[in-house]
Amino acid sequence: MKRIILKTGLYTVLILLCLEGIIRIFHLTKDYPKRYVDKFGVEKWVPNQNGYSVTGIRRQNFSEYHINNFGFNSYREFKPSYNTQEIALVGDSFIEGFHQNYYNSIGRKIENRLKDVQVFEFGYAGYDLADQLHLINAYNKMFEKIDYVYILLNFTDDLSRGTYEIKKERLKLESPLYKTLRKSKLIVYLYDIGSFSAVNSLLNQLTSFYKKVPAESKQKSQPKENETYEKRLDNFNSLVDLYGFDKKRYKFLLDTEKSPKKFLNYLNQNKFHYLDFGLMMDQSKKRTTLVYDMHWNDHGRDLIAGLIVNDFTNTLRNK
Amino acid sequence: MVFNSLAFFLFLAILFSLYWFAFKKSVKAQNILILIASYFFYGCWDWRFLSLILLSTIVDYFVGIQIYKTENKILRKRWLWVSVLFNVGLLGFFKYYNFFVDSWTDLASALGYTIKSTWTLSVILPVGISFYTFQTMSYSFDIYYKRLEPTRNFLSFATFVSFFPQLVAGPIERASNLLPQIINKRIFKDKQIIEGMKLMLWGLFKKIAIADALAPMVDDIFTNYASYPASTLVLGICFFSFQIYCDFSGYSDIAIGTAKLFGVELMTNFKFPYFSRNIGEFWRRWHVSLSSWFRDYIYIPLGGSRVSKLKGIRNVFVIFLVSGFWHGANWTFIIWGAFHALAFIPVFLMGDHTKYKNTIIAQTTLLPNLKEIGKVLLTFSFVSFSWIFFRSDSMTDAILFIRQLFDNFSFEIYKNPLGYRMEDYFILLLIFIVYEYLIRKTPRSPFNFNNKVLRFVSYTAVILGILLFYDDGIDRSFIYFQF
Repeated sequence: MKRIILKTGLYTVLILLCLEGIIRIFHLTKDYPKRYVDKFGVEKWVPNQNGYSVTGIRRQNFSEYHINNFGFNSYREFKPSYNTQEIALVGDSFIEGFHQNYYNSIGRKIENRLKDVQVFEFGYAGYDLADQLHLINAYNKMFEKIDYVYILLNFTDDLSRGTYEIKKERLKLESPLYKTLRKSKLIVYLYDIGSFSAVNSLLNQLTSFYKKVPAESKQKSQPKENETYEKRLDNFNSLVDLYGFDKKRYKFLLDTEKSPKKFLNYLNQNKFHYLDFGLMMDQSKKRTTLVYDMHWNDHGRDLIAGLIVNDFTNTLRNK
Repeated sequence: MVFNSLAFFLFLAILFSLYWFAFKKSVKAQNILILIASYFFYGCWDWRFLSLILLSTIVDYFVGIQIYKTENKILRKRWLWVSVLFNVGLLGFFKYYNFFVDSWTDLASALGYTIKSTWTLSVILPVGISFYTFQTMSYSFDIYYKRLEPTRNFLSFATFVSFFPQLVAGPIERASNLLPQIINKRIFKDKQIIEGMKLMLWGLFKKIAIADALAPMVDDIFTNYASYPASTLVLGICFFSFQIYCDFSGYSDIAIGTAKLFGVELMTNFKFPYFSRNIGEFWRRWHVSLSSWFRDYIYIPLGGSRVSKLKGIRNVFVIFLVSGFWHGANWTFIIWGAFHALAFIPVFLMGDHTKYKNTIIAQTTLLPNLKEIGKVLLTFSFVSFSWIFFRSDSMTDAILFIRQLFDNFSFEIYKNPLGYRMEDYFILLLIFIVYEYLIRKTPRSPFNFNNKVLRFVSYTAVILGILLFYDDGIDRSFIYFQF
């Protein structure tokens, strides 16, 4: 019995070490940049980090990132001035673009089409409208110099709160425990492929075995669709009131297919401008998202860049 | 609770520790533990159907004793019929009732009569019912044929019927093999435990890295067959051949491996069937516990091959049709069985069905000769083609699939709509086939290398394969659970 336990233990350790080595050699999993909260209370990446991001198992998508001096993934440093033309893209992971090479981002694609225009990408995974407007407000002086700001907005996901607060759950990822765990690429790989969801579901099964939640209470906790809409609209107004919104320079980038018509009407009535990318994506004959991951692929980013370029040139023409 | 879940491994670890540490000294205590664990294991699906297992256990336990008690042939036969009617009755009600009602109404409407059927019931198919009913029936048959003496130990018998590693999807064990192991004391043997763990690892690889990984492609091709050219349909058929093989043989390996952890040896269920050189050999290598069940309890009592050619052909048809019907209450399975019967008959008439009884491809050489390769490819093609019936939801789908296969005879590189990189799967299957070929002589020892380094590399490669092809978002249940 002892022999078998020792032998199994030894084999397990050796196999784990081998797997750790293989994952590192073939770079099968992503690097995690460090995050922090700056003096304005804005959560972003620690400046000047480089690494590689992997999306999907078997390195289906492999890309390089570069966190600039300001703390966002971009090949460009953010130095706006009143003498040059600048565009800012503010959004979540879709703008952040860890799933693309940083030198082939939406911003870069726009710059390739518009001469003498600089594009600053303020993208950060998990950002909602509160994060976005708070960022713009906190760096007001910088954003004043930027000619146009495009804010990515998802009505369902981005309007769950009416004021900005630092999200502690995200910052937990910088705790010593998570940092230590992330040193093992095997653990990161297992986490990325979703194998820890099996652990979670087992824990849920075990806890629900003891604490049976009645189905009725679950139903009660789900708000009605209309209530949710009103709540989100309230949050939208609250955020706009709190952090300001320059309707002349700021525009939303949104998918009208996934936004309630009531909300679109509201935006129109109150002269908030928006660009719709949903229809264009739907009509595309080529796939616009990655595999295993719904972020935009190269073609999707091309379409978004084209949309912004058209809008920008039209706006300048009509000015 | 399925074998490829974390819950199962937690359950297994607790059970293993209790079995070998706390209850080591008493066989009775070990059997009580296994019985409780088996009922818990089964109850995780649906505890209500535990009553069926218990009933089947009670009936066959008493029938066995009654058959043995008397030498009166008529009485013995009557008691045997009690067992058969009870078990087949359970199957008939839970698995086939709606099929018969639907078929009857369909037949009537085809003849011009309109029957508004209100007879169909919303019956849930109890998991594993086809397996444990056949296992308990084999016990009564063996006593009837005087191959076995009944046990007077109800606890051991109940443990034999419900032994959790093979309860829900086989191998369908014979009492003559399993029961003595349950009655007698089991000894902790390092070698047996290690072999068990190796088999479990190999089974998990087949299930997770191959069967589960191929499932999205198979589902796509069989669902959208009308929009694909023949080349893609052929790919779908080949993928399904490997999916079903790896799914079921993976399950069997995990079952056999798990049993080994408890000092129990179950019968081998798969012996590299896709290396078969004719359909006769295929059926000696595919789902061995079921095909041998049909051979021992239906084919041989009907006279087997020691009757006239005509009766022999009848016997072949009977077992293949019954085998098809056993798989599911759908005409697709019956046609699948008939299709195999039609292929088996020429082999049977030529007397080649037992030709490869004790050999495997390239038995004495490193590589097979061209003739053998041709035979293997031909058998594989036939078997794969027959899977169309097995995989299709209805006969209409199967026929339309086959029509599309011949009508749209063109080649096009398949691109999965979800974007799976197909090259990865081709490489995976190629490596798998080569590896299976290398281990073809040792179905119960997938890592049978003398060189320690080579063995270690194999373990690591197999675990890496599981990690590389693990797909979090798919249904992980085993295909054979539905039977």
